[in-house]
Amino acid sequence: MSAQRVLVVDDEPQIVRGLKVILRDAGYDVETAQNKEAALAALSVRPPDAVVLDLVLPDGSGVEVCQEVRSWSQLPILVLSAVGDEREKVRALDAGADDYVTKPFGTEELLARLRSVLRRGEQDGAEPKVSVGDLEIDLAGRSVRRDGAEVHLTPIEFDLLRVLATHRGKLVTHRQLLHEVWGPGYETETHYLRVHFAHIRSKLEPEPSQPRYLITEPGIGYRLREQS
Amino acid sequence: MAAATGLVALLDKVAPIAGLGVVYMLAVLLIAIRRGELAALATAGFSVLALNYFFIEPRHRLTISDSENVVALAVLLIAAIVVGRLAATARARAREAEERARLTAAREREAAILAEAASAVLAAGDLETQLDNLAASVTASTSEALRVELTAAPPEDRDGELVPLASRQRPGWIWAAPRSGWARDDLERMAEPLGRLIDIAHEHERISSRFAESEATRRADAAKTALLHAISHDLRSPLTAITTAAGGLRGGTISEADRRELLSVIDDESDRLARLVDDLLDVSRIQAGAVNPRTDWCDLSDLTASAAAGVRARLGDHPVEFDLPADLPLVQADAAQLERVFSNLLENAIRFSPEDEPVRISGGTGGGKVIVRVTDQGRGIAAPRQAEVFEPFVGGRDGHAGSGLGLAICRGLVEANGGTIRLQSTPGLGTSFAVALPLSPQPAPAR
Repeated sequence: MSAQRVLVVDDEPQIVRGLKVILRDAGYDVETAQNKEAALAALSVRPPDAVVLDLVLPDGSGVEVCQEVRSWSQLPILVLSAVGDEREKVRALDAGADDYVTKPFGTEELLARLRSVLRRGEQDGAEPKVSVGDLEIDLAGRSVRRDGAEVHLTPIEFDLLRVLATHRGKLVTHRQLLHEVWGPGYETETHYLRVHFAHIRSKLEPEPSQPRYLITEPGIGYRLREQS
Repeated sequence: MAAATGLVALLDKVAPIAGLGVVYMLAVLLIAIRRGELAALATAGFSVLALNYFFIEPRHRLTISDSENVVALAVLLIAAIVVGRLAATARARAREAEERARLTAAREREAAILAEAASAVLAAGDLETQLDNLAASVTASTSEALRVELTAAPPEDRDGELVPLASRQRPGWIWAAPRSGWARDDLERMAEPLGRLIDIAHEHERISSRFAESEATRRADAAKTALLHAISHDLRSPLTAITTAAGGLRGGTISEADRRELLSVIDDESDRLARLVDDLLDVSRIQAGAVNPRTDWCDLSDLTASAAAGVRARLGDHPVEFDLPADLPLVQADAAQLERVFSNLLENAIRFSPEDEPVRISGGTGGGKVIVRVTDQGRGIAAPRQAEVFEPFVGGRDGHAGSGLGLAICRGLVEANGGTIRLQSTPGLGTSFAVALPLSPQPAPAR
């Protein structure tokens, strides 16, 4: 099996230089593009396995690249963004980006996020069971065990956990969660999430006030941690 | 006239005709004093006719038989005219004097009112207060006889006199209650200086706001200079550490341990730089009023937990005690910004805490607010410094690794989200920061 190919889209040569070394060292083939136009050209000619995409490009926004790509492909997109740019992050995620890392990022964090978006590209929630720490989530049988003991979740609580588990390790936005669990028309009722997550945590977390599994990304969404 | 004719008829039997003319003179004199010169002249004419008609032979005719009587009548007429004239002049003089006295009294009265009004305008306060004071002082100093109204349209349904004020800055009216002793021309005299006073109040406001502006600019400039100075120092030290470490890595003979050491210097110092840049960005957003919170329902328990997880990942597992009530209401705020606030507060608290003394997160509701406190058991902040810790580059300059901007950012972000931040500190016992956010009506329960 040949190495997975990653397209890095960033206009800052020093960052591209560093990313190339890091990604090659981790076993990926790396291609680069310096602006939106070059990125879209490279994507359509020979689609890579994943894209690492800066949100601020000289000829446009990474959000536009996400929208464009999503109109014809589900290939995984990992976005690079700056602190305090929650609005842009959410726009990119809602436009189809799979996750983000905040600049400046650590190598480990970047590679972990890239692995989890690539895995989603391969499997897309097809696993029947997901286990994290001492939690075991049976997606097909709709049951959860903690330390081997069955935990009772309400149907909505289980659905929320199911969405996070199928996208394990990956950030799921408020909007996505509300849309998938409650359906169209509920995308802005974020307070539903606060209440239900408080309940799920009290049932699944060893210490609900310091969650280990269900991680809040303030103002953006939630993720199910991969390893605890 | 009739009275004079009656009197002459009585005296006719005992006195000569020339003496009787004097009685008519009396009438002319009285009329002149009462009614003025024209009336006196007419009276003189009628007196001569009446004397001729009733008392001079042939009686009941306007003809005169005796030429001596003609002379007497002519003398009477001339005398009457002269007396009438004199009396009328005296009367006019008296009137003038009276009018002058009245005017003087009116001027004095007006001067007193204007002096009160002027001191009302000069008293401290903003423009609206000064104008309110002016109106109130006019009402008070005239026992409510006069009223100043600063409205664009004339006040409606008012009896009494109403005159526009002569102000270039703002329309206004002076009104006198009916039968208050204030005539229209009195009001017209008052309208001019009162209008000027209003203009002066406006001018005063304009000058003092310009002064405040330039003072604020001067202070902002001074703050910026201090900020730039501090930043260049704070940017330079991590940069120096990084270049030094990179240079060290080039050396051909360094051990693996040294290599790791130098790499972690680069990592740590880059982190410090990155956080300083983020903080500066936040400060400039706050100062430019460009914080723009993305408001949504926030669960403060969730936010403080996520902030604590982040800080503990950076600073090591310092104990944090969570003591927030389970039913703490949701607040309307920007979650990411509040998380930055709690991260900064927790980071400060942990840095200032003795090892293993837990930092406590507590809270509740009260006074229409949802309050979260971050409390440490550190050495506390002395009272004189408590006010200034929220100023950029003052709070964190105690030799620890913070940028000195953390608390300034906390205050800016909390205030942008409609809240307040306060600190309570007892030197030797610890410090508690309280973030209070408005309590909103809670959303409909989740489905």
